[in-house]
Amino acid sequence: MKVSIGDDIPEWDMPSVTRERMRTMAAILRDPNPVHWDPTSTERWGFKDKTINQGPLGLSYMVNMLHDWAGPTSIKRFIMTFPKAVLSEDHVIARGKVTGLREEDGTMIAECDIWLHNDERGTLLKGSAEVRLPA
Amino acid sequence: MPNKPIPPRAEIQALVGHEFPGGKYTVQHWENFLLTECTGADPLPDGQVHPAAMFHVPILGANTTIGEMFALGQAESDASIGIESYDWELFSPLFEEVAYDVTASITEADRCEEESGRVYDRIQFVFNLADPDGKLVARSTVTWHYNRSRN
Repeated sequence: MKVSIGDDIPEWDMPSVTRERMRTMAAILRDPNPVHWDPTSTERWGFKDKTINQGPLGLSYMVNMLHDWAGPTSIKRFIMTFPKAVLSEDHVIARGKVTGLREEDGTMIAECDIWLHNDERGTLLKGSAEVRLPA
Repeated sequence: MPNKPIPPRAEIQALVGHEFPGGKYTVQHWENFLLTECTGADPLPDGQVHPAAMFHVPILGANTTIGEMFALGQAESDASIGIESYDWELFSPLFEEVAYDVTASITEADRCEEESGRVYDRIQFVFNLADPDGKLVARSTVTWHYNRSRN
């Protein structure tokens, strides 16, 4: 796999963040926080009739982008921050860029900036990843 | 509803070194299937667990809960928690039907005050996952902000 610093990682598109998936995720995570399933609980932040996506679910879209790019066992490290909420019905696009390359134990590691984009509210999540590149 | 009083800073600092009971966690196929479906991806090959599990598997495997983690930091409410970061290190992939040993502790805890007046307690939890042979396979570092309101 030929990768260069500055390369864009192919985007991964989530056309709509659904409430049904948030509810399933709440059960799997055993996360009782109502912001993920009760839209009345988010009114204090001005999110009228919206629920807030779980952090692990929002970052999973960037995991999926990296898997599609470099393979399902490629992620070595993944650091994510959450500047803005991902809301129900949001259309979000996972994006990334290669910022560095290094060799480690015979494997090429790509250092990447990654982020989750929404057309209306810009960058919702952002972080970095270290990705093992296939030979 | 009045806010809870801000806990003494010393009580927050004293959390450093707190160890969770620890234990084992096995991701079953149904759980991984549903989790992966929630992410919008197809199931991964060979029973590989989707990395999105790196949030709840360490917590549940350490024999704690999100609610207990909120309570340890004396959170004012569920809504008062902010995420600083999740840092997941995957030394090797996780697989379904493998019993991982989980150990966990609080590694950092202190009060932060910003010039804007915002006050929060920053608490960091570190979870280590080892395979049945004792090999470290993954680490999850969760850093949360426990936002404090001044009455």
